[in-house]
Amino acid sequence: MIPGSYFFILSVILFILGVIAFFVKRDLITQFLSIEVMLNAGNLAFIAFARALNSLHGQVIVFFIITVAAAEAAVGLAIILLIFRQKKTIKSEDMNLMKG
Amino acid sequence: MNSLFALLPLVIIVIASLLVLLLEVFLKKENKNYLGFISLFFLIVCAILYFRFWNEEFSYFKGSLVLDKLSLFFFFIFAVAVSFVILLSMKYISLQDANHGEFYALLLFALSGMMIMVSSSSLVIIFLGLEVLSISSYALAGLKRKDKKSSEAAIKYFLLGSFASGFFVYGLALLYGASHSTDISGILDYFRSSPELSLMATIGLGLVIIGFGFKIAVVPFHMWTPDVYEGAPTPITAFFSIGPKAVGFAVLLRIFLYYWRITPESQAIFWLLWIISVLTMLVGNLIALRQTNLKRILAYSSIAHAGYLMVAILARDGSSLLFYLAAYLFMNLGAFAAVIALSKKGKEYLELDDYAGVGFKYPWIGATFTIFLLSLAGFPPTAGFLAKFYVFSAAVREGLVPLVIIGVLASLISVFYYLRIVVYMYMREPSREIAIHLENPALFLVIFLCLYGVLQLGIFPGNILLIIREAINALPF
Repeated sequence: MIPGSYFFILSVILFILGVIAFFVKRDLITQFLSIEVMLNAGNLAFIAFARALNSLHGQVIVFFIITVAAAEAAVGLAIILLIFRQKKTIKSEDMNLMKG
Repeated sequence: MNSLFALLPLVIIVIASLLVLLLEVFLKKENKNYLGFISLFFLIVCAILYFRFWNEEFSYFKGSLVLDKLSLFFFFIFAVAVSFVILLSMKYISLQDANHGEFYALLLFALSGMMIMVSSSSLVIIFLGLEVLSISSYALAGLKRKDKKSSEAAIKYFLLGSFASGFFVYGLALLYGASHSTDISGILDYFRSSPELSLMATIGLGLVIIGFGFKIAVVPFHMWTPDVYEGAPTPITAFFSIGPKAVGFAVLLRIFLYYWRITPESQAIFWLLWIISVLTMLVGNLIALRQTNLKRILAYSSIAHAGYLMVAILARDGSSLLFYLAAYLFMNLGAFAAVIALSKKGKEYLELDDYAGVGFKYPWIGATFTIFLLSLAGFPPTAGFLAKFYVFSAAVREGLVPLVIIGVLASLISVFYYLRIVVYMYMREPSREIAIHLENPALFLVIFLCLYGVLQLGIFPGNILLIIREAINALPF
């Protein structure tokens, strides 16, 4: 039997890795993936707490978050596709039309 | 009144946006304006329904839907904002090649998201509303599909917005783990019952504040704001500057009016907000000084206004916050309306140099724009002056004197860049010829209504203050 705290610690690690990856990576798709990692770290934390508290509430929330992440992916990938059509690049340092 | 009936206005808005999406397929390009009128019609129906809810009981679906006077007041702010934005866009989107039926549908979806956010006491529902608002906003920012700046605005808004959602979700998870509840009142009851705050709960609350900080664009979470405001279609920029900001402050108000009362000595969160507020007022106003693009100036000005609103949160004063938001709604939408007025087919005049001599060439636009700018800067007898006065005097009553001094200094700085636009309009020789498209009755209606709002709130604020006081006093705590 794995102790519940392990899941929580894993979720903390995933969240921090997601934040670091968002800042380190220079590619729109990878940055988007690191956001997904952060959201899923939240999911894992919810499940860990739901298990520790023995309540269904936290598990139900996870379904909502998964749905939201899917909707976000739909719009986000469409925007990235639009960018690629216009600029032929998805490097984030090329998003530099506006400055100041 | 049963729960389903209380849900009716929200259902009407969602149905209206689906209807607009459906009709979009069948309408010819030149008839797309009808979609705007349809959206306006449904908005008015919804507002009338909410009008009848004013004196009803307020909790439905076991507290998942809360229609107290605070949420109704915010709904009216959103309804005015969205209907003004619809009126502003009717001509704009056909002139600037953004004439898609999705425009109005996405605006209504965003409105439904904001309605969900203000009328719930459960943080999970608030998160869902926030995402409905955000996802439609990402699409709205990129609606000028052929314009590279617009797509760039969309991607920046999308990446940083969903990054913030990640923070919000994780903070929510931590709060749930600490307090065993996702309800605002449940979480705050936990804060009251355990005076020794657990680290997890404080970090959770901090992450939720960061998540909201991105949405309401406070420093240091403001990086996306100027770029997104510059790239997005201008009516949508006007919407971003009031809609997401007002809704973010609505939720913060719900959390903190209660939170301050139960934990008066909570230092960590108080100083976090204090620092955010000071940074926001100073950085917003200082960077605005060296901008030359009108939309960027207004973007930094909206960041600075978020700082003043934060002062109201710190001063524990709901009524001055609501008054500020109402005043900000009229003066900011009015300023954006004047910016939108200076455009012609396929071209917008957004550089400061374009505004040289505008005051004499188009006297009405120049005069009204000047009044809105003076109001944003906080000159009497406009709404902006009274709004700042109420916020700062509430803060002085709470003993936040250093904060007020910084706030007043910051708004002195802001006078410079607001007046610079006026100076350009009246005291510079025009360096290049501008020609604008003047046949736009809907836009001039909006300018007139905003002017009325700014002067009404500035000179005779009595009625609205009564409503605001009623809304605040009706809160359950």
